[in-house]
Amino acid sequence: MTKNLIARTLVAIVALSYTLSAAAEMVRYQARPGSKVTIHGTSTFHDWDATGHLIGGYMELDSSLPLDPAKAPAEGGKVNANVHSQIIVRSLKSENKKMDDVMHAALKQDKHPKIEYQLKELVQLPKKAGEPLAFEATGDLTVAGVTKTIKMPVTFEKVGDDRLKVAGKVDVKMSDFGVVVKPPVLALGLIKVGDEVKLAFEWITARANPVAQK
Amino acid sequence: MKNEKTTDLNRREFLKGSSLTSLVMLVGGAAVKAQDGSSEEKPARPAGASIKCGVIGCGVWGREILTSLARLPNAPVTAVCDSYKPFLNRAGRMAPKAEKFSDYKQLLESKEVQAVFIATPTYNHREVAEAALKAGKHVYCEAPLAHTVEDARAIAKAAEAASKSYFQSGLQGRSDPELLNLATFVRSGAIGKPVMTRSQWHKKESWQRAAPTAEREYELNWRLRSATSPGLVGEIGIHHVDLTSWFMNARPAAVTGFGSIQHWRDGRDVPDTIMAVFEYPGRELHSFDSTLANSFEAAYDTFFGTDSAIMIRDRKAWMFKEVDAPLLGWEVYARKEGFYKETGIVLAANSTKLAAQGDNPVLDAQASQDTALYYAIESFIANAGLTNTAVEDFTSNFGDDEAGLKEYLKDLQGSKLPSAGYKEGYDATVIALKANEAILKGQKLELKDEWFEI
Repeated sequence: MTKNLIARTLVAIVALSYTLSAAAEMVRYQARPGSKVTIHGTSTFHDWDATGHLIGGYMELDSSLPLDPAKAPAEGGKVNANVHSQIIVRSLKSENKKMDDVMHAALKQDKHPKIEYQLKELVQLPKKAGEPLAFEATGDLTVAGVTKTIKMPVTFEKVGDDRLKVAGKVDVKMSDFGVVVKPPVLALGLIKVGDEVKLAFEWITARANPVAQK
Repeated sequence: MKNEKTTDLNRREFLKGSSLTSLVMLVGGAAVKAQDGSSEEKPARPAGASIKCGVIGCGVWGREILTSLARLPNAPVTAVCDSYKPFLNRAGRMAPKAEKFSDYKQLLESKEVQAVFIATPTYNHREVAEAALKAGKHVYCEAPLAHTVEDARAIAKAAEAASKSYFQSGLQGRSDPELLNLATFVRSGAIGKPVMTRSQWHKKESWQRAAPTAEREYELNWRLRSATSPGLVGEIGIHHVDLTSWFMNARPAAVTGFGSIQHWRDGRDVPDTIMAVFEYPGRELHSFDSTLANSFEAAYDTFFGTDSAIMIRDRKAWMFKEVDAPLLGWEVYARKEGFYKETGIVLAANSTKLAAQGDNPVLDAQASQDTALYYAIESFIANAGLTNTAVEDFTSNFGDDEAGLKEYLKDLQGSKLPSAGYKEGYDATVIALKANEAILKGQKLELKDEWFEI
């Protein structure tokens, strides 16, 4: 009886350590300057754009994910990843200072100085020849204090030896986040801002501890 | 940097603006005039973060700066400095909460100063500006930047290197909404092809100031000695020269100068009557004349183009159309004023469609009563605040990354309020100093491209 118990315990320990050693090793990428985020919107007057050049935060990726598209699995699949990024609202600027003030007020900048994103799931999409690695990212976007889960396509592209550019696009409705734009009073109610806005970003990250790629 | 070809005519940009604004005017025209200054609609220019200011050099102009600062709620004056006690005391009365310093170095050590205005005599600018930038302050340096090209270059280099500091040069016209509108107007081709500009600054005054002691009088009259003074063209002409360069979107290629002492023979060696003719790359001419012997017509700038001429006087402007010029349309309804035998169409920031791009024309009418200096200082405070938040946002995310920070701040140029940076200040200073040289020599000087490299 004891012999059996010992044997089973040993098997359990071996099995456990086997599982542990197979656990994913994560590579950390830190946000770097040079990113870009654009918000494109419409109104009854004219289309507008706001741009920011600051995306902070970090990303942790399964080290077994080859960033070279040629080496990635063809069918894709779930990828182990952690992403937490933020955009400082006041770094978003349009071509007009007044519009900036209206935009920052609508985003409730004084109470919620940052737009934040937390990844929940990353799935690699089937490969397409000659194109960067594509994924579908599901995550929580927090704008003006309101959090909503959004799905968006993103691509990963290696830049140089140790940088990774994450690019993505997503359309969101401002009303989903309780963002209400108050145009200037003078507009006499003529300017109505469109609810749907197009977000696009290019996020530059660099490996926290530069190591030769596999 | 190659000399840019003259006048980048951009009619599309001009017209793009008008169609939007015509809609606003059409629908809201009458209502706009009625909605006059209710407390929610004021001010058209929002106040930003507070920037603590120090003024170094509290002479006549330093006190003008103090007056403008007093009107800005987000620009508290925390320090004033002058080496001459009576001026320092006077400044202290204008800014009672400010700490008084007789040594600028001590002012720069104060943590209660985030930005400094340098309004000392021109030949002192370099020393103070370099020290201020080193101390990490934002700097507004009066124009001309310096009395030698070498000093001006040193200031510009220091400004370029100090990425966390915002530097603005005292070419206040670049922040003036009236002139900003006119610049777009002229560059859109409204006057046709610019061929010539005439500017003058005439005032019967000696420029000599009296003081209680001979020593102080000598110091105070630095403007009358060519060793320390860039003369009429350097101190005053620089603004007119810069205005033309700005509107022409080019830099003069050569300058010919004439000058002598015609009236004030008191031992000075700075000419009291001068004329400088600037030649632009397309051979357009700009003549600037200035005298301390006569006041007729004071100061004005006239731009002559193939379709019309524009005269700018006291921050008002008029357009005089040629008989064969194409109809712009709106001039039929515009206000007109008579000048001897000519009829001028009034151009004012609040009555052209250009100005109504998103701004309140009624408030603009009131606002254009302000001086160009006020707008320049307002821009300076706003841009300094913008620089502060940008540096803070960047370093909180990425730490100390000098190159990255410079790149990031460059991307923010578009969000800044209009102003003359160190490059514009440097270019204008070099042009004015070379013009002064041409005047003193009575010669033509080619303005070499390498002189404009920082």
